Amino acid sequence: MQLTVSGGKITKVDVLQYPNGNGRDAEINSYALPILVRDTVSAQSANIDMVSGATVTSDGYLQSLQSALDQAGI
Amino acid sequence: MSGAPTAERADHGVRRYVEQVMGMPISLALRGRHAGTRTGRDAWRAVLAQLREVDRIFSTYREDSVIRRLDLGQLTLEQCPAVVAEVLQLGRAAEEQSGGAFSIRLPAADESRRLDPSGVVKGWATQRASEFLAALDATDFSLSAGGDVLCHTADQDRPAWRIGIEDPHDPNALIAVVPVRDGAVATSGTAHRGQHLLDARTGRPSVGVASVTVIAESLTWADIDATAAFAQGRDAARWLQDRPIRSALVVWADGTTSRVVPRSRMVWTDPSSALPPRAGRAG
Repeated sequence: MQLTVSGGKITKVDVLQYPNGNGRDAEINSYALPILVRDTVSAQSANIDMVSGATVTSDGYLQSLQSALDQAGI
Repeated sequence: MSGAPTAERADHGVRRYVEQVMGMPISLALRGRHAGTRTGRDAWRAVLAQLREVDRIFSTYREDSVIRRLDLGQLTLEQCPAVVAEVLQLGRAAEEQSGGAFSIRLPAADESRRLDPSGVVKGWATQRASEFLAALDATDFSLSAGGDVLCHTADQDRPAWRIGIEDPHDPNALIAVVPVRDGAVATSGTAHRGQHLLDARTGRPSVGVASVTVIAESLTWADIDATAAFAQGRDAARWLQDRPIRSALVVWADGTTSRVVPRSRMVWTDPSSALPPRAGRAG
């Protein structure tokens, strides 16, 4: 919280909070927060383009979600 | 350059490519004017060629790489390509800014320190190689190097790329989704390679955290910050609050999550201004 004190009295209380996710903010893409997916969903139903995850090695690639995207063209 | 054909797929105007380079999959999605054109494919080949060149210089798995020979004293820094000094400088900056939790000199079994800039190289190299794609007019791209993703859209009217964030406790599921038009999403964790991320201060695996995802302007620093935060274990989210990032997601070892917006992006609001005017008040 941020307090503004004037003449020994608190005259204003401001609260630190997340920026609003309004249309303009979303457009400039500055505040994009990850949106939690409550239930475990497949890459297909989440309609995603790429997967970010712990480093996938070439050996582990075939089992990865990214591989499913690359191959199936979801 | 390898003569092997690149896998190429098209769906809804998105053209996809994948190749294995530096021991990991490099995936590309292109849409717009050069998705599927010869110019688009040439840019992709240029990306791969540059990443292979970087691998020849920086691979710690090849005893004949420039970085190994530098570490063994067979080369001086002056004898190395200029990019080596650039990467070492980036490594020093990362070490300073993480209070030593991140280091390109990793503690080895014999208590010596081995030069290993791979924690810096992947993001840096991918960011650098993406310039070939950014030069394609009216074309959007999303480029992933083993799970670290860089996105670009040619103009603001185009839809954002949707990036799924893998659940570190179940790598076949997603835990979050983040839309990105221009920017990077990097994740550090141990899901695929076992415990491989160490706190450079102690040489021990970091504890308490399962994965850290950072969304930032450049992949170079998104990757460094994700790794440096992960190395700090339980302090990961706190440290990220003061980093010049857009946002972050920390998944803790117990499955809970913290979404981080850095303090610099928080805004001060006066809650009373959001209240409806009181009845009877003028105006």
